[in-house]
Amino acid sequence: MNNLKRSTQRIFWLITLIFFLILAAMAKLVLFDRQEIASSPYNPRLNYADSSVKRGSIKDINEDTLAESVDNGDGTYTRKYNRSRMAAHITGYSSKGKTGVEAAENFELQKVHNEILQRIEYILTGEPIKGNDVILTVDMDIQSVAGNLLGNKKGAVVVMEPSTGRVLALQAYPDFDPNTVAQNWESLKDDPDSALVNRSTQGLYPPGSTFKIVTALAALEYYDGWQNFTYECKGEAVFENKVIHCYNNTVHGTVDMKKAIATSCNCYFAELAKTMGAEAIRKEADKLYFNETYPFLLAHSDSSVVLNGDSKENEIVETAIGQGKTLATPLHMAMIACAVANDGMMMKPYIVDHIQYYNGAVSKTTVPEKLDEVFSAEYANIITDMMVSCVEEGTGTAARISGIEVAGKTGTAENATGSDHSWFIGFAPADNPKVSVAVVIENADQDGRATPIAAKVLQAALEKYQ
Amino acid sequence: MFDLIIMLSRYLFLFYIILFLWQAVVYVAYEQGGYLGSPSRAVSIQKGVIVWLHVTAFLILSYEPEMMLLDFKALSTGVAGLVFLLAAMVLLDKFYYEGCPLVWTGMLFLLDVSMIMLQRLDPALALRQLMWMSIGIAIMLFIPFILRLIPRFEAFELVYIIAAYGLILTTLLFGTAKYGSVNWLKIGPITFQPSEIVKFLFIFYLASVFRKRVELKQLLITGGLSAGIVLLLVLQKDLGGALIFFMTYMVMLYIATSNELLFFAGMGAASVAATLAYHLFSHVRVRVAAWKNPWSDVDGGGYQIVNSLFAITTWGLLGSGLTKGMPKSIPVVESDFIFAAICEEMGTLFGMGMVCLYIMLFFRGILIVIRCQRRYYSLLAAGVTTMFAFQAFLIIGGVIKLIPLTGVTLPFVSYGGSSVLVSIMMLGLLQWVNVYCEQHDMNYQNSLSQNQNETEWDGDDFHE
Repeated sequence: MNNLKRSTQRIFWLITLIFFLILAAMAKLVLFDRQEIASSPYNPRLNYADSSVKRGSIKDINEDTLAESVDNGDGTYTRKYNRSRMAAHITGYSSKGKTGVEAAENFELQKVHNEILQRIEYILTGEPIKGNDVILTVDMDIQSVAGNLLGNKKGAVVVMEPSTGRVLALQAYPDFDPNTVAQNWESLKDDPDSALVNRSTQGLYPPGSTFKIVTALAALEYYDGWQNFTYECKGEAVFENKVIHCYNNTVHGTVDMKKAIATSCNCYFAELAKTMGAEAIRKEADKLYFNETYPFLLAHSDSSVVLNGDSKENEIVETAIGQGKTLATPLHMAMIACAVANDGMMMKPYIVDHIQYYNGAVSKTTVPEKLDEVFSAEYANIITDMMVSCVEEGTGTAARISGIEVAGKTGTAENATGSDHSWFIGFAPADNPKVSVAVVIENADQDGRATPIAAKVLQAALEKYQ
Repeated sequence: MFDLIIMLSRYLFLFYIILFLWQAVVYVAYEQGGYLGSPSRAVSIQKGVIVWLHVTAFLILSYEPEMMLLDFKALSTGVAGLVFLLAAMVLLDKFYYEGCPLVWTGMLFLLDVSMIMLQRLDPALALRQLMWMSIGIAIMLFIPFILRLIPRFEAFELVYIIAAYGLILTTLLFGTAKYGSVNWLKIGPITFQPSEIVKFLFIFYLASVFRKRVELKQLLITGGLSAGIVLLLVLQKDLGGALIFFMTYMVMLYIATSNELLFFAGMGAASVAATLAYHLFSHVRVRVAAWKNPWSDVDGGGYQIVNSLFAITTWGLLGSGLTKGMPKSIPVVESDFIFAAICEEMGTLFGMGMVCLYIMLFFRGILIVIRCQRRYYSLLAAGVTTMFAFQAFLIIGGVIKLIPLTGVTLPFVSYGGSSVLVSIMMLGLLQWVNVYCEQHDMNYQNSLSQNQNETEWDGDDFHE
């Protein structure tokens, strides 16, 4: 065989290889990337609903229907939200665009399983062609307790299972009625309270003292002297040009870390942060998914910590107590509480339990996934111990539940919108955590603080999940 | 009920293309010494599949569910298309008796898919495309005569390259822009892409030069002149065209010299040039950015590619069924993005089948290169084969976001007069090489067996 023929054969294999790359890329697209690409809100195919298909229902874990399509009698369907406001931020709406689970799982809700069989059945019996049902991890019993406790206080409640990352409740106020979004669109879209925004996942709040858990973890991880580090609290202290007060200027005396967490001593953490420096806090925060997107089905904001090597002292001490430019979402703070409860393993939060076909068959049950081991079990135990003392004898006594040991951390966050936001994050039972919670109440007054609400939500959740 | 039929038709389309490809395997197996069935029967089945594909698709496309009637206009386009396909099958066999039958059936299958998809997207375009296809086939039938009329057309290398430069420069000076590239020329009522004609001239030129022993001097001259054409195409913002010409040059050079070092050096130089182009030309940067992360600019630069990905992925392996998708949401779907529309409505598996079909055509082309005894004709066939295969790779790869998008047409399938004409004529050229070589080879063998010293003129090709 001469050279020309041999070279030609080589060219043949080269170009055939690149064609096989195309085949592989196509297979990858349609087998692995399909769900992610196709469910993009930009995909016009999702809004082009086949009118002959009855869109699937959204149900909670007890199969309680949250959203369903009801036949108008003429073959067209109206979307009905049975629990109205109570689950509004979870289901989202489906007129004037789509949000919430309606948007995120549009693809499944619209997808017809065994389409050929269903179409034959439709021709023979008139049985409607049904999309897949989406079954959530949310428990409406807990969701309702949270909603009722929240009442008309602006804020959010997140309840999760620490060992799995399952979201049991995701409540936020102000809310809206998904049934009447189209009618009320004009007032809703320009609502000064942004009722359409899901505060539990998108609301960015200064985390206040709940952030001290992050500061404490930074010390455990990067500051060897933390165990012997004590501070003489005088109720207030000056750092550079910033005066740090303890709440009500309470003088805590000599405090170590445990007492500082329990009593929420700002001066201690300010001094600790000054000693260990900005980078330790920033590194720990980044590990805990601040300044980073974590996967979650519903639209959510990224929490942020802006410290770096050049940060000034007053910035460092403010950040250490969750003030300054530090911002976090209630969902993210609940995930941090979960990580402490779950021996430092942060689980990927999820809200869809499984997809159910028209014939009742279950498909695609979500398997809990680890996000990252963000700190060691040893540190988790130390922090848990501190959080228990916070509830037992510190600022969080309002979260005590008789017969059950609760671990928690309170927070009072100064902000530009008025009186302080009230926070509580925690979990119970402390020795074998089943439920975690994060509660934030905007501009809370004395009667509407986060801690007692969190206690009642925890109690309700434990009744079902212990 | 009609919805149900469309649902089921998706399986039928998949069955057609699998049967079609399988018959190609049967044919090749026989050729290689195995036996899976009769090769002539395999080709007949392939022709049958093309007809059935055409009939199935046009029945669906012409049905109007509201009226429960068949649309007369669509039906007549379908009948005209059927007549075209049958006539082409008969005529091609007649005029190219020794041509490779798999190349013809493969081409007709692709042309048929083109007709179906264009009828679905825009019936007016389907009719015009059918007209271009007919003209293309008609011209192609005369290629053997034309080439026989001109003796020793390998001697005109200078003419080819001068004409090529003339055409490209004219476009650059007087061209009109379409889809952002200044590569269209308007003469009276006709607009066409001169770069399509330049493809022919370029292949003829390179084959003419490389048929001789390639010395450094030729290497430098052809390299310089080819680089000039590539550069001019980049200036016209025709990146895809530039890439195709470059690859064709590299492949023909490699085949002619068998020098790996040269091949890799050329590729290296191209990488440097590509990096330079990236920094120099903003339109190159825009393309690359849209490829890297189309999601960051969905409403702008990433719009086309993102919509193409939606079309391919939304309905899964079998597609939405003909007429049930939304291919029109993709800009220029009828030409550059027709592959996405095919994947959307006839299924991604069908699209993968089409990729296999291109591999099959490419394989047949390479076989012709290898079988041909004369260097000049081998080079011609290699140029044609590489050019259309690489073009198919560029646009399919771009549409599925494997590589950055370059606006070239999918050979035989995309809408476009010059594209279809040139694609058909290229295959005509390939088949003619096949016919010529087989005849020539036979004469050669005969003359050897008769121990005659005076053989027919054998060209002045370099012999290894």
